[in-house]
Amino acid sequence: MVDYLAERAKYLHLIRNYFADQNVLEVFTDSLLSYPVSDPFIDSASVILNKNISKEQKFFLHTSPEIEMKKLLKDGSGDIYQICKVFRDNEFGERNFNEFLMLEYYRVNFDMNELMDDLEDLLKSIGFSKKITRYSYQEIFSKYTDIDIYHSNLEEIQKLCEANGLSFEKMDLADLQIMLFVHLIEGHLKDIPACYIYDFPKSQSALAKIDGNVAKRFELYLGGIEVANGYDELQNMKDYEIRFHDELSKRKSLDLTVNNFDQDFVSQGKDLMQCSGVAIGLDRLFEVLNLDK
Amino acid sequence: MRILHVDTVMANYSTSQFKNGLKLMLDGNPCSIVNNEIVKPGKGQAFNRVKLKDLITGKVLEKTFKSGESLEGADVMETDMQYLYSDGENCHFMDPASYDQYAIDAKAISDAVQYLVEQDTCLVTLWNGNPISVTPPNHVILEVVDTDPGLKGDTAGTGGKPATMNTGVVVQVPLFINIGDKLKIDTRTNDYVSRA
Repeated sequence: MVDYLAERAKYLHLIRNYFADQNVLEVFTDSLLSYPVSDPFIDSASVILNKNISKEQKFFLHTSPEIEMKKLLKDGSGDIYQICKVFRDNEFGERNFNEFLMLEYYRVNFDMNELMDDLEDLLKSIGFSKKITRYSYQEIFSKYTDIDIYHSNLEEIQKLCEANGLSFEKMDLADLQIMLFVHLIEGHLKDIPACYIYDFPKSQSALAKIDGNVAKRFELYLGGIEVANGYDELQNMKDYEIRFHDELSKRKSLDLTVNNFDQDFVSQGKDLMQCSGVAIGLDRLFEVLNLDK
Repeated sequence: MRILHVDTVMANYSTSQFKNGLKLMLDGNPCSIVNNEIVKPGKGQAFNRVKLKDLITGKVLEKTFKSGESLEGADVMETDMQYLYSDGENCHFMDPASYDQYAIDAKAISDAVQYLVEQDTCLVTLWNGNPISVTPPNHVILEVVDTDPGLKGDTAGTGGKPATMNTGVVVQVPLFINIGDKLKIDTRTNDYVSRA
């Protein structure tokens, strides 16, 4: 137990050293927010505060510090990182918990490839020496199947699901791509010590830039465990509004609670500068680092 | 002699209730979950990646279900039954509690047939009241009906030799074993254990 605490403290120290060397500023943003996350498949937990002083107010615990950190970037913070506990409701699964330790960081003027290089350097600096193989979403599908995932429309994907004995009712293109990924690809990733999957189909853009057929997004898998998720960040506030509206209508179609999104973020005129950011699940990362020893 | 089975309405099971050993209906066949993995991507919904054994064909199937989906449960029951006899076509079993007798097509349980010894208690799997598979006891006593004569003096031979047992199954046995010997055989591995 004591060893485990010391290990974690050592890794956190090394992470902070790396960012200090790179002139990336450590920040802390609020974890009590006025708006829940709009992501259709992440639920915010909420708390009611100040009831006994007649100032009752409902807050949502941050599920990631993304929006608050992007507000700092818009205000000219430059490169920033944050290490914090984040909270998610309705989580289940072997490696999913209601609270976990997240490292989120943003590099100004970086594109997706530069951020992938940077994350690889960060991992090296904390003792992870394995080479990270890079596969586009398309390449990883071609490696294990003969599916051309970028160029498949809804009807073709439904046929592929049917051929694989998967039911596809009430699922959109992104849902079906993810299901095929889980069914046909993810199991194989256990055999790859470290890999990036990048250039997701544009239907899975989340808050990343779209370039032609693809969203400039990447995920890091270590021994089959998803550890990080990064974007070349969307810049235009109108685009953010559109993506948030899309996410909320998806939540509505799934009968999930729908709240408004953070108006302050999108309404404050300025767009985000060119930057790339990534969120890393530190509990999972430390678990992998310990297994490797 | 058989009591007609009355079909019961089976409950549906949601993915959150999935666990190893749960019996579900899939494409018309009863299946048993052998592995259940929850996968929740950082972006996107959660799925259950499940391995199921088809209890009719014995095949293991890999499926992925959207979390929250439900499947119909399969009315599968496992009961200890006594093996009575074979009439060549069917193997006959009796439920010692109810004295109900069940006939099972020998071809459908060919793996088990080669270890069936009269009076032995076997585990019979019933689906909607009909037997679909038989698991013999872990160890059975069988008699050698054919094997080459043992080499004199070789009592700890490493090679062994094949021996045909009274049920027809062929087992690798030590060189000192003779025709007429009764042997304890492990039915899970088809290994010789000892002389009985």
